[in-house]
Amino acid sequence: MTCDPYSARVRELFAGPDHAGDLEKADLRVQIEEQGVRIGLAADIDGDIISGLRFRAWGCPHLIAAAEAFCREFEGRPVSALQAFSAAEIMQTLPVPREKLGRILVLEDAVRSLGQSARVSPDSGKDTD
Amino acid sequence: MSNSSDIVYLDYAASTPVDPRVIEVMTPLFGVDGDFANPSSGHIAGRRSQGHVARAAEQLAALLGCSERELVWTSGATESDNLAIAGAARYRADRGRHLITMPTEHKAVSDVFHALAKQGFEVSWLHPATSGVLDPAELAAAIRPDTQLVSIMHVNNETGVIQDIEALGAVCRERDVLFHVDAAQSVGKLPLDLASLPVDLLSTTAHKVYGPKGIGALYVAERPGCHVEPLIHGGGQQGGRRPGTLAVPLIAGFGAAANVAMSEMQENHAHLRSLNDRLWQGIRDLDGVVRNGGETSTFPGILNVSIADVEGESLLLALEPLCVATGSACNSTSSEPSPVLRALGCSDLLAQSAIRFSFGRPTTAAEVDFAVDRYREAVGRLRGIARGLVA
Repeated sequence: MTCDPYSARVRELFAGPDHAGDLEKADLRVQIEEQGVRIGLAADIDGDIISGLRFRAWGCPHLIAAAEAFCREFEGRPVSALQAFSAAEIMQTLPVPREKLGRILVLEDAVRSLGQSARVSPDSGKDTD
Repeated sequence: MSNSSDIVYLDYAASTPVDPRVIEVMTPLFGVDGDFANPSSGHIAGRRSQGHVARAAEQLAALLGCSERELVWTSGATESDNLAIAGAARYRADRGRHLITMPTEHKAVSDVFHALAKQGFEVSWLHPATSGVLDPAELAAAIRPDTQLVSIMHVNNETGVIQDIEALGAVCRERDVLFHVDAAQSVGKLPLDLASLPVDLLSTTAHKVYGPKGIGALYVAERPGCHVEPLIHGGGQQGGRRPGTLAVPLIAGFGAAANVAMSEMQENHAHLRSLNDRLWQGIRDLDGVVRNGGETSTFPGILNVSIADVEGESLLLALEPLCVATGSACNSTSSEPSPVLRALGCSDLLAQSAIRFSFGRPTTAAEVDFAVDRYREAVGRLRGIARGLVA
């Protein structure tokens, strides 16, 4: 028996961050640095659908896992779904310890910001850095 | 091979496995057919148990270069530090209430000083040079007429930096100030001769030197003015300095571990040196890598490195199945950058990426090579995930 601070899901996402990738040449981009972490998100939009998501992250394993989980879950969904992204939900599903809520809220801010920039300019390569 | 098949253990500064020769000494002391009796009992069985305690005291005293009478058994280095610092400060409180230590001490030391500060003692915190080493002249300048105790560790548990305890102790001895040394990381690994060193109190523990967990010792020099007030009361064992029934199997194990350490110290030191050099040579060319504590005046059993642009917790996970430490293991739940590294001038950003590799007798060159490969791979992967994010 070990007291592992990381769930099997967090370990899997951290070990295989398939969506960690180049933020350049995306339709939408956002980058936030707060709470001692840095997160960047990029989205490709096809009509009203998120056709591709990528991220960059500097932070703890839970942040990297949460960013990868977000990308996997929201690819192929409508842009409007971004506003429904919830830090609380991802805290529960991965799960993420309570003391890291602030870092996951930074991800939530980045996702919401991505969603807002999509509403402002739905079909252009807008840089919201 | 000391490691179980699924891990590579490079955290010997946190704890070591019990040497098979130590287990052999301890095992017969638990059961009904062994010498399990209370060593304070006056009957024949008690006297047999007492014999094991006496033998262990001889073995540890031989390693330290002191008299058996100068040893007090404790539960480990934390208790030894508490007994030495709080016990000596209270014993000499009527002479003065000024104490001196450093912010680079283990929390088993620094937290005792924080507690004493709340009880009316005044504490001066001396900062080392960026090498981590304290200049004896700095200590001399800080000592006042009311100073009663100085506590400086021998080998730093995070960086391996070695303090010149002979020179620091001489400064204290000249001024009739008690000098305590936390030697948890050095006993059995570096030569110590307390008969000639100007040290009054010295803390040690068995589990850092291939003995069992749960047993330590405090050396209290037999000289005028050197005494510790007990922290616990009842029973009268050990002259009342640390009462409580003696843990005979653990004490016997500590003695056996001390005996092995003394006979193999030189050979082990050379082994650690070669492993430390091998690991550092394998990673030193990485962009932004820093060796904390420098290359001189450090104990070769510890290599502490920081690296730019990498987050420490993710690095630790990415290094698995390598078992290493970020900062002090006792402090591994804290996300605060290490005060030890900050005192050495390390930025918060670099300090949070610090990894302590520590080597032991069972460590092999192949394990070090694995650590080199794993570290390079992990750093590259995490830098890739963060690429382009400007700090």
